[in-house]
Amino acid sequence: MSSLSPPVNRLITELSRLPGVGQRTAQRLAFHILRLPPEEALPLAEAIREVKEKVGQCEVCFNLAVGPRCRICEDERRDPSLICVVEEPSDILPIERTNEFNGRYHVLGGALSPIDGVDPEDIRIPELLERVAAGGVREVVVATNSTTTGEATALYIAEQMRERSPNVAVTRLASGLPVGADLEYADEITLGRALRARREL
Amino acid sequence: MDAVRVTGVALRNFRCYARAEARLAPGLTVVVGANGAGKSNLLEALYFGCTGRSSRTSSERELVRFGERVARVSVDVEAPDGGHRLEVGFEPGEAKVMRVDGAKVDSLARVDVRPLVSVFMPDRLDLVKGPPALRRAHLDRFVAALWPARGDTRQRYSRALAQRNALVARVRAGAASPSLLDTWDVELARAGIALMAVRGEALTSLSEPFSQLAAQLGLSGEARLGYRPRSRAATADELRAELRERREEDLARGFTTHGPHRDDLELAREGRPLRAYGSQGQQRAALLALLFAERELLAARGRPPLMLLDDVMSELDFPRRERLIELLRSGGQAVVAATEPEHVPGCGDPDVALLTVAEGAIAAREQVSA
Repeated sequence: MSSLSPPVNRLITELSRLPGVGQRTAQRLAFHILRLPPEEALPLAEAIREVKEKVGQCEVCFNLAVGPRCRICEDERRDPSLICVVEEPSDILPIERTNEFNGRYHVLGGALSPIDGVDPEDIRIPELLERVAAGGVREVVVATNSTTTGEATALYIAEQMRERSPNVAVTRLASGLPVGADLEYADEITLGRALRARREL
Repeated sequence: MDAVRVTGVALRNFRCYARAEARLAPGLTVVVGANGAGKSNLLEALYFGCTGRSSRTSSERELVRFGERVARVSVDVEAPDGGHRLEVGFEPGEAKVMRVDGAKVDSLARVDVRPLVSVFMPDRLDLVKGPPALRRAHLDRFVAALWPARGDTRQRYSRALAQRNALVARVRAGAASPSLLDTWDVELARAGIALMAVRGEALTSLSEPFSQLAAQLGLSGEARLGYRPRSRAATADELRAELRERREEDLARGFTTHGPHRDDLELAREGRPLRAYGSQGQQRAALLALLFAERELLAARGRPPLMLLDDVMSELDFPRRERLIELLRSGGQAVVAATEPEHVPGCGDPDVALLTVAEGAIAAREQVSA
């Protein structure tokens, strides 16, 4: 490391901060970037700059937005009485691809995790409760991850909603088998859960 | 899932072995050698190659032969769909490299063609006489082997517990509101009830075979295996209420004081826990009975474990030895280490593989045909 010049070291350090990138991969990427001609390398820097300058958060749902509101919140055809709560903006993409959901979203920006010191106020839960209390919402679909922190976040939201907006339905995504997949290839945990939550035909 | 059996093992720079290979019999394999000849190391290598973990508690660094850098074990198995090779490479300070048929895997735990392994060695008596945490961990691993679909029950509880403990600490420090505990109590109670249910079910199925096997293996008097849950709750709501009642105590002590992370399973004879009242011999018989009871249940589900028994024969009288070998040969695969071949009744039989270890070498002794 010490044999490299400071700018190269800085690039490696910055790259290694990216998720899923270790020291080795960071080095490989850095040397790749060094080999690129400027007209291929600089658009990456420019894209990063542009995204940081232009993309912010939607003032209503905290999804990514160019301007004050995201495209979904600006879309008048979407049902404002139905709100789907997700942990991250990236969770919206798969739900949108289903074409099954015509409501709006609320992006928490994380999940409750005492270990990481994440309390309800640190993610957009107060904003969600306010948004629902303001009226016009009939159902909140909690689509946080099916992890310990995701489940606890869902529980917390459900409790708070029962207290503050008892007339609003709170639902949770079901978990089960991927459609079109052979039973043979389903992992045991998912399959076990699907078995326990089986329904009558 | 059908039975998987080990056909052979190869060691490179593993403990006392520079390079060694051995073939196993489909049923019983007997490893004979003087004390310190490398019998235990061969058994450990089998465990290591099948699980990616060491069966002993000592530092893994010692797995590598003195003066060498990397230890490797490869295990050849025969599964219903044909032969496979499991490989584990270990270099201290590096992540272990595990492969199945040459392809890297993160863990062998979820590999279908991996045989389950059950180990008896003297330091495993800690399972009977040691702290409850060892018994809980053993039971939870058995649950995961028996019902793969419930394999995450323990992890889910542990994650919820870690979060709740972190929250208790933060509430204590005034950094978080106590009302947040309501949410984590529900999550912990749900995970806790699920964990208690699988543990209870596993122990209920184990208890009868355990009592029978204990009697056969030399534990006189009525032997019992029982679940000692910390909580008597039958539903998640009841457990949540119990957690709520103890909240002040938890906050005072700084951690979660109640729940299945404080469960125990009790091995008892004549109503008294063997942990405190058992002799060494009684504890040994109880451990063997537990392992064989587990094997019975796993075999009923088509996955009898490879049994690795180290240093048990010399401690048993002749009828017990005969009974033990009879049990081992009644199904499944087993490797037994002994100092003297005479300690293993029937070791001269043609279907038994006899391996002799000495000075870091393993020799298959020619079978003397009658």
